[in-house]
Amino acid sequence: MTAVDETPTTESPMPPPTRSSPSSSIVLAYAPILVAAALLALVPLRYGDTGSTMTVATEGMAFAAYAIAFNIIFGSTGQLFLCVGALAGTGGFASAILADRAGLPMLGAMVVASLCSAFLGGILSWVSVRRALDTIFIGIVTLAFSLSFQNLILGQREWTGGETGIFVEAGKDTILHDRNPSYYVFLGLVVVYLTIFRALQRSRTGWAFRALRDDQLAAELSGVDVARYRVLAGTVGSAMLGFAGALFAHSGRGFIGPSTFSFGDVDVRVLVMLVFGGLGSLLGPVIGAVSLTVLDEVLIDYAQLRPIFYGSVIIVFFLGFRRGVVPAVTDLFRRRRRR
Amino acid sequence: MIAAILDGIVLGLQYGLLGVGLTLIYGLAGVLNLAHGQIAVLGAVVVSVQMGNGMAAVPAILIGLAASSAALLVVDLTIMRAVYRQSGETRILLGLLLMLGVAFIIDGILVWKYPIERLGLRIGGDPIAILGVKMSRGSLLASGITIAAGLVLVVFFMFTKFGLAVRSVIQDEQGARLVGVNPARVRTFVFGLSGVLAGLVAVTRSMTGPIGADNTISLTILALIVAVVGGLRSVPGAFVAGVLLGIVDRLSSFYIGTYITTIILLVCAALTIVIRPTGILGGSSG
Amino acid sequence: MSSPLLEVSGLSAGYSGENVIRQISFEVDQGEAVTIIGSNGAGKSTLFKAIISILRPTTGSCCFDGVDITRLATHKISRLGLAYVPAERHLFPELTVIDNLHLGAYPKRPDPAVEAMVFEVFGRLAERRTQHAGKLSGGEQQMLAVGRALMSKPRLLMLDEPTTGLAPLLATESYTALGHLRDSGLTIVVAEQQVPLALELASRGYVLEDGRFGLTGTSDELAGNPEVQRAYLGVA
Repeated sequence: MTAVDETPTTESPMPPPTRSSPSSSIVLAYAPILVAAALLALVPLRYGDTGSTMTVATEGMAFAAYAIAFNIIFGSTGQLFLCVGALAGTGGFASAILADRAGLPMLGAMVVASLCSAFLGGILSWVSVRRALDTIFIGIVTLAFSLSFQNLILGQREWTGGETGIFVEAGKDTILHDRNPSYYVFLGLVVVYLTIFRALQRSRTGWAFRALRDDQLAAELSGVDVARYRVLAGTVGSAMLGFAGALFAHSGRGFIGPSTFSFGDVDVRVLVMLVFGGLGSLLGPVIGAVSLTVLDEVLIDYAQLRPIFYGSVIIVFFLGFRRGVVPAVTDLFRRRRRR
Repeated sequence: MIAAILDGIVLGLQYGLLGVGLTLIYGLAGVLNLAHGQIAVLGAVVVSVQMGNGMAAVPAILIGLAASSAALLVVDLTIMRAVYRQSGETRILLGLLLMLGVAFIIDGILVWKYPIERLGLRIGGDPIAILGVKMSRGSLLASGITIAAGLVLVVFFMFTKFGLAVRSVIQDEQGARLVGVNPARVRTFVFGLSGVLAGLVAVTRSMTGPIGADNTISLTILALIVAVVGGLRSVPGAFVAGVLLGIVDRLSSFYIGTYITTIILLVCAALTIVIRPTGILGGSSG
Repeated sequence: MSSPLLEVSGLSAGYSGENVIRQISFEVDQGEAVTIIGSNGAGKSTLFKAIISILRPTTGSCCFDGVDITRLATHKISRLGLAYVPAERHLFPELTVIDNLHLGAYPKRPDPAVEAMVFEVFGRLAERRTQHAGKLSGGEQQMLAVGRALMSKPRLLMLDEPTTGLAPLLATESYTALGHLRDSGLTIVVAEQQVPLALELASRGYVLEDGRFGLTGTSDELAGNPEVQRAYLGVA
């Protein structure tokens, strides 16, 4: 059962089990990913004919990917990066500009763009560590970055189309623009990201993450290089965000604009998804993403009330189920088993 | 250039008051009020609606200020109770996130119910020349009101017993308890005061341009930037930061451009955190 | 005999679920000076914090002047007349000495007579009236902390290691001042590691070891006790 690694908060940082663990535990550890993937793979079978639904579903998968990356940065190491959209957007816009304007092959542009995001995220982590910034200050600095990015996009009309955005040429003739295949591509991305998350959790790196998130001072004293691991989380998570953003830019409608990666459109949704699904848990991001996507569609007629809904979710969940739905349900299972 | 600087001072005074409102709540309760702009616009919208119904300006403004104040009071007396039970970083994070939720709710209501309501207080009369620059009466009245509010705050904090009590809670909450100050009551008062200040800024801003539901986010961001540059816990720091940033804002807008200006202000905030977190005046005063 | 001013029964308290003090019971009568002796970590601060409600006790109760203060909020206990000078002092660093003192009297108006007395007892503070509390030396801050507590005209004054960081001369001066206050009727409970001064001030004391009261007796008895001498008085 995945229960053991699910608890996000206080647990004593014990070293991971030695290499001689039986292969069955590896299967158990990664099984949930396969189950989720199998379930989600069924979606096109039911809705594959409706263009609008599949677009929404694909976007939902993209957000799941964002959420998993944010889970690594915030859930694992407690760095409140309020710039998820900006990091994904760096990947998206950089890749689009590199591919369309500088003539790079699409895949190459995506890699370079992801490196840009990784670099920015790494710098944000590094500065936060060097200046020993509290969580709230990291939040404010990254928020400033997020808003600056937004204004940069709006201001540099020549490169980014300003308020109207740009059409992305690269990728138009790949499967990324085919309705159902693009869904599977993003689902694949989600599976890869989940695997990365799980592998990190079970590795020595994951143990270090937990140690420094729970008690930074204690971790330092027991020899954990806090700086290195925080920068690692920030860089890896940002790279994942950049790549997902780039993939998004080259797919679907082939259009990106200021609202594609803005704080209100990305960060808040990702936050709500993680809050709902469970910060720090493996499938939390996916469950949150699916739930929110479905809910948004069901309430499409009340789209105006969306901000009110998001705000209420944030308040209710942070006041009540502080760890999210997934941990709450897992706790329920654990309590049931003990009886 | 002088015109830009004078405009900057007019704007800066209001930025200062905006930042003070945010600083008070953060210094008092460790809560980062990300709904400050929303509260401000709420007040402005109420004023506008009342005036639309035929009420005169002054009573409408009073009702508007009461509305924004009441909104924050409700938040303090309900949602924030859970936040106060925490301490340290947990409190700060929880407060921040809950206020984000509140911001969304208020924003959503304003955009849904009053999307086109705009408050614009036109002050009649010819412009008056200051240092050779023609300043509109609206700007001057706005500045006058802001300065007056600032003076009232100064008198309150420096010369009244309760003002001293507020400062004590900002500087050492535990110490305040030990001398008999009730932090909960002080917090409630400050939330109410912050609401009044927010509404007041929206009203004065409306004397030089329309204020409505689409200004919520920019006002919150400005309040945040000013408060951060002021040191997040320093009321005088926020005021000074506000004036300086107002001047920077006008000069930059005039010579460079709007989007870059916002980026410059944001960079100021980020640099303050990274280089000198105690803000422009340093220290942790109240 | 009138009831005790402070009554503590079966008090246990601690941090993160672990009790630091266990089943502490004692009484203090009006006008007494009592000392609690113990080494670092024994639980002296925890005891005071539990009484003044900075910490929530896990079991037990406290009664001050007939009022049950076990669950009462700190600021309300302070207003009842129980003043506490913590080891960390908790002064207001950006306020002047005068402002700090005036806040001590909150919510009442500061009594000029009491203020004058504080300045007379703590001469050095008078010279620093308008300085910010954060700029004072350690000794001056300690004096200010005590002075601030006195401004509320308390019935009972609890002090947690009031001589930490003070030069010996200053420590003796402070205790002399406390002695004067005791003589004029103030009830005092002081926790100390610097035992000789405390035993001189107090009429009786308790030894706190591992969260429980062990030895107890009059100051003379404690001073004469060989164990106390070995552990706290530096006598071989």
